[in-house]
Amino acid sequence: MLLLEHDAKTLMAARGVPVPDGTWLAEGAELALPCVLKAQLPAGSRGKAGGIRIVRDRAEAECARREIAALEIGGHRVAGLRAEALVTGARELYLGFAIDPARRAVRVMVSPEGGVDVETAGRAAMSVVHASPEPAALERACAQAAAGLPAPERAVLASAAPVLARCFLDLEAQLLEINPLFAHDDGSWVAGDVRLTCDENALPRQPAMAALIAARPGVYTGACFKMAHGYDFAVIDPDGEIGLVTTGAGLSMKIIDEMTAHGARPWNFCDIRSGQMRGDPARLVEILRRMAAAPGLRVVLVNIFAGVTDLDEFAALLLAARAEVPELTLPMVVRLVGNGQVAAEARLGAAGLALEPDLDRALALAAQIARPQAQPHA
Amino acid sequence: MLETVLDPAQPAPGVIVQGATGRAARRHVALMQGYGTPIRAGVSHRTDIAEVAGVPVFADCAAAVAATGARISVIMVPPLSVLAAMREALEAGIELLVTVTEGMPAHDALRAHALVAAAGARWIGASTPGLAVPGRMKLGFLPDIALAPGSLAVWSKSGTLSYECCLRLTRRGVGQSAWIGVGGDAVKGSRFSELVAPFRDHAPTRAVLMIGEIGGTEEEDLAETLQRTPIGKPVHALLAGAAAPEGQMMGHAGAIIDGTTGTLASKSAALTAAGVRVHARIDDLADALAAEHAGECP
Repeated sequence: MLLLEHDAKTLMAARGVPVPDGTWLAEGAELALPCVLKAQLPAGSRGKAGGIRIVRDRAEAECARREIAALEIGGHRVAGLRAEALVTGARELYLGFAIDPARRAVRVMVSPEGGVDVETAGRAAMSVVHASPEPAALERACAQAAAGLPAPERAVLASAAPVLARCFLDLEAQLLEINPLFAHDDGSWVAGDVRLTCDENALPRQPAMAALIAARPGVYTGACFKMAHGYDFAVIDPDGEIGLVTTGAGLSMKIIDEMTAHGARPWNFCDIRSGQMRGDPARLVEILRRMAAAPGLRVVLVNIFAGVTDLDEFAALLLAARAEVPELTLPMVVRLVGNGQVAAEARLGAAGLALEPDLDRALALAAQIARPQAQPHA
Repeated sequence: MLETVLDPAQPAPGVIVQGATGRAARRHVALMQGYGTPIRAGVSHRTDIAEVAGVPVFADCAAAVAATGARISVIMVPPLSVLAAMREALEAGIELLVTVTEGMPAHDALRAHALVAAAGARWIGASTPGLAVPGRMKLGFLPDIALAPGSLAVWSKSGTLSYECCLRLTRRGVGQSAWIGVGGDAVKGSRFSELVAPFRDHAPTRAVLMIGEIGGTEEEDLAETLQRTPIGKPVHALLAGAAAPEGQMMGHAGAIIDGTTGTLASKSAALTAAGVRVHARIDDLADALAAEHAGECP
């Protein structure tokens, strides 16, 4: 998950990385002019989309503030603005570290052509070396990748590499890009922009990063939900008609694919991880409450086919959750397969819920309830 | 060691379970035993439990391996403990590690892979439901209801989607020669492309089903490997995530479309170009495989 530049810089500055002076721009706050206004949102290519503007006077600043705040880039709304001191008279380099899953190594990337052109000129000039995730190995890789550059650039990178490699490792980043890395003639450097992709699996031992993420539930929606509730949930179509209570990432995705291909409109993605519920209906209660508040929903589809889950226990938890969320009055299609299926069917039947063992029939049934006038698809 | 597990002519190697005293692990030790897996020992740092499902529990891997001669470990410990458990297993001489835990940090996975490679061992996982050779053994929690001996090798990133496919296939008479969950993480022990070699000469396997999903380049890498070094058997594929919004992580740590990387279109095109039959729906896949392989499983 990509962090906002502001949050990434907060983490980097705390680790001794020089960044331009900057603040999260509060409503009505005065600016120290001139400065750069930078849209804060979890997407790249902000500069090309007009999300980064240099402003020199108040009128220009007011105008830029309004225009940036209204932008949408890569499907994301602007979460806020960072006002940052201008950096002038520096060369713009690029230094990046990324996990390479195919090589099972860290890809160290260096380019003398940083800045907004990194995708074009920068890519062509980029030098890539793979290394193991150890500080000394990353420093060596960086020196090797910079070997063809002029001495002043090499010196700046040699001074930046140890600090940035340490950040990449300590923060367990999946990607850490400094672009531009401003290089001054005196050999000093400043991280102009920071692109930091965090590993959500590492958050339990990254308290500072976890705290920054938890503070912005409106930006890091999925990660905040997962930290608070222990499973994955995301609304993918706010006007969707079918609420999904499903387990397993792959099957949950495929259910959405097959529904969408047939013109049905699933409201959410969900991987409830039914095997981790440990006799507690809290995950189901949470999700049913959200469904009760979703205006377009017509039906709830429950699909559990799991290796770990005892279905009778799950059925009991589902009934308990329904009792706790009486405001959810939507019809429910329940498809369960696995350990304890017979007992689960009896338990649900006693509560007036039919168990549908076949997934395609369950999908067709849910689609039909959502759109009674449409033809059933299966 | 994977080859030994896959070869029905060889005696099944002994298995230990690390983290055997956990709530889910206790249940699955019994289920694995019930399926015929030769579980020889458990390993747990809890000292108050002497046995689980009739197998002795040892304080560490070295003791468990010394006492039982086991060569395989199923690791069922919390996510931040997986790396240490793997190191302990490798130091004890374990040759095949199956880590079912979901949520292993990627930097840990990089380090774990380096340890496994240095030891010359094989790692399946993390975030995998395990692997099975139906009728012989299962390592992990693949559900018995979807397991049946047959001639289809199933390789899958997703547990649940492979359950659904295999359940439908077994009901239509198509069983598995082997079933390997490679797991949904980005950095993992065995990638699809690394299964091509062990399955090329695997006589019981007559066709392969690869169940992939959005994110990363694993499916594209498999396509490239198949082009370069053909497997000599039909390969079918099912891909999940056609309707996933860009930038949204879909449950698995690796399942995310980032710009133009990791899209379903890219995977589908690469696989098709490599001669893989890519199916859109689970039922299309079941129809195609049933037409070719029905009646092979009892």
